[in-house]
Amino acid sequence: MSVTTAQNGLSRARRGVAPGGPGGPANRKSRLSAQTSRTFFWLLLPSVILLVLIHGYPLVYAGIQATHDGSLISTGNFVGADNFANVLGSDAFWKAARFTLMFTIVGVFGSWLVGLGLALLLRTKIPAGGTFKVLLLLPWVVPIVVSSTAWNWLVATPDSLIPSLFRNLGLGTPLFLADPTLAAVTVMVFKVWVSFPFMMMMISAALASVDTTVYEAASMDGATRWQQFSQITLPLIARSTYISWILMTIFCVNDFPTIYLLTGGGPVDATTSLVVLAYRSVFQDFQTGPGVAIAFLMTMTLVVISVLLYRQIRKSSVE
Amino acid sequence: MSAVVHAHPETGPVLGVADTGPVKNRSVLSEAGHRNQWWRFVLILAITAIVLVPIMVTVVLAFTPGPNSTSTGFTLENFGSVFSETLAATWLQNSLITTLSTVIVSVAVAAPAGYVLSRGRSKAVSGYSLLLFVMQSLPIITSVVPLFILFAGMGLVDNLMGLTIIYVGSTMTVATWMMAAYFDSIPISLEEASWIDGCSVFGSFTKVVLRNSLPGILSTAIFAFLLAWNDYLVAIVFLRSTEIFTLPMGVQSFFQQNQTDWTSVMALAVIMMLPPVIVFATLNKYFSVGGIGGSLAGR
Repeated sequence: MSVTTAQNGLSRARRGVAPGGPGGPANRKSRLSAQTSRTFFWLLLPSVILLVLIHGYPLVYAGIQATHDGSLISTGNFVGADNFANVLGSDAFWKAARFTLMFTIVGVFGSWLVGLGLALLLRTKIPAGGTFKVLLLLPWVVPIVVSSTAWNWLVATPDSLIPSLFRNLGLGTPLFLADPTLAAVTVMVFKVWVSFPFMMMMISAALASVDTTVYEAASMDGATRWQQFSQITLPLIARSTYISWILMTIFCVNDFPTIYLLTGGGPVDATTSLVVLAYRSVFQDFQTGPGVAIAFLMTMTLVVISVLLYRQIRKSSVE
Repeated sequence: MSAVVHAHPETGPVLGVADTGPVKNRSVLSEAGHRNQWWRFVLILAITAIVLVPIMVTVVLAFTPGPNSTSTGFTLENFGSVFSETLAATWLQNSLITTLSTVIVSVAVAAPAGYVLSRGRSKAVSGYSLLLFVMQSLPIITSVVPLFILFAGMGLVDNLMGLTIIYVGSTMTVATWMMAAYFDSIPISLEEASWIDGCSVFGSFTKVVLRNSLPGILSTAIFAFLLAWNDYLVAIVFLRSTEIFTLPMGVQSFFQQNQTDWTSVMALAVIMMLPPVIVFATLNKYFSVGGIGGSLAGR
């Protein structure tokens, strides 16, 4: 059912952006149908082959692995839903699921709030505003491997720069990556640091298309700053906001390097997300069954979340 | 909307004041605006400085003499030592080969497919578009395990070609949307004119549409470039031997040693972040995240 909904939304959205308008396609189709569909077939073929090889085949094979007790070398025996039952019954899974949820919520809304604030600030007249806009995108442009190295240098040991700074200010010596709670917070702050430029760009693009005369009219009608923001700005950027939330949710749930490179999932699994757990189960414990089962459960959750948010997009574009 | 409605009861008396208000208030406003402008400048300067600390630290350390060095102040010797004492040159070459192949193949696959998605109106085409949407949201870890087993049998593990195939596969979904979204902005009348002149559909695609799509091709290429250049997950799973490492694996290999050689690793980190920063600095007008989001929204 959800798939049909998404499909409706999809085709409707497509019709919305079609340059020829709704009347165009039918005309064109009748004019050159046979030759066109043959050409279309060949143009699409490489893409279809790759999709089957890189996405289709692995998905089917992953389904087989999830129901077997195999390893990287052999498929193993059929065990039905045992892997799923074991995974769902394990504390490690729920701990990782809780962390992934927190990580995603903080990652999505944290980066959105920071991005929104900066986008609003940069929309006003500021000397050298353009330069700041470019500089602030750097955290997103620089490879994670590089920025995680820098963050490691800044916080990893008690003698690193930031902990020393805290010590000198008389605030104790926080163990940013050794204390479980603090490590989780550090990873999330790192994720927000990496992701806010993406949000800033999305929001700036949406704000650029807002007609500023709306605000003049509103302020003449006596609307306060906050009213203008909540009643005009937010609704106008709602569509792009939902899209950025969907994308960032996918980015966060699927994220591996941000977490793994900073903490490796530790200390005592405090920052082990579902992806890290799945990775460890397959490539460190050599059990493909549970690992793939975890990945499958994640996939289901993501599809549900995407479809729910997708509906929100459609709703917001109707209004 | 409610703000507007609430304001209405006051409209009568307020309107009289508002008529003369703007003229009198203008000078006051602009002075305050000027002050505000500088206040905001200081604020954004402070934020930017804090945000960029990790990046500045990387650059500064890369040019700082290492613990065993005799020189003081600014130095380039970290770059020399990282190239002479590690396989940095090989890693750089590996990264360049995989990334450039990914970009080329990805665009070559995505452009024709995007054209079909943009111009085709059949059920099959919109079904395929949905399929791409679903596939792109799947965690890559799901496909990595089966692909590892498949590629192991084909000798594609620990192999740059195997890596490239996976990168092309994982960029193609979004790349196809980006191309399709761009093609949507090219008026169909251009193609129709060429059809009247006897051009085939394929001919009009290559000669008319592609020729007018450089910005779209560039943003798709940048997207594929960043994904392939920055990837760590696929690399850590598929690469085993040091001489096949790409740069991310190379940088990480410094942390396997007991004592991390920070100045050398930062030198390599600077080398690794240069290409994306250069691409971004020169092509930032095509670097539209909005484009990625927009293409998702449109489809």
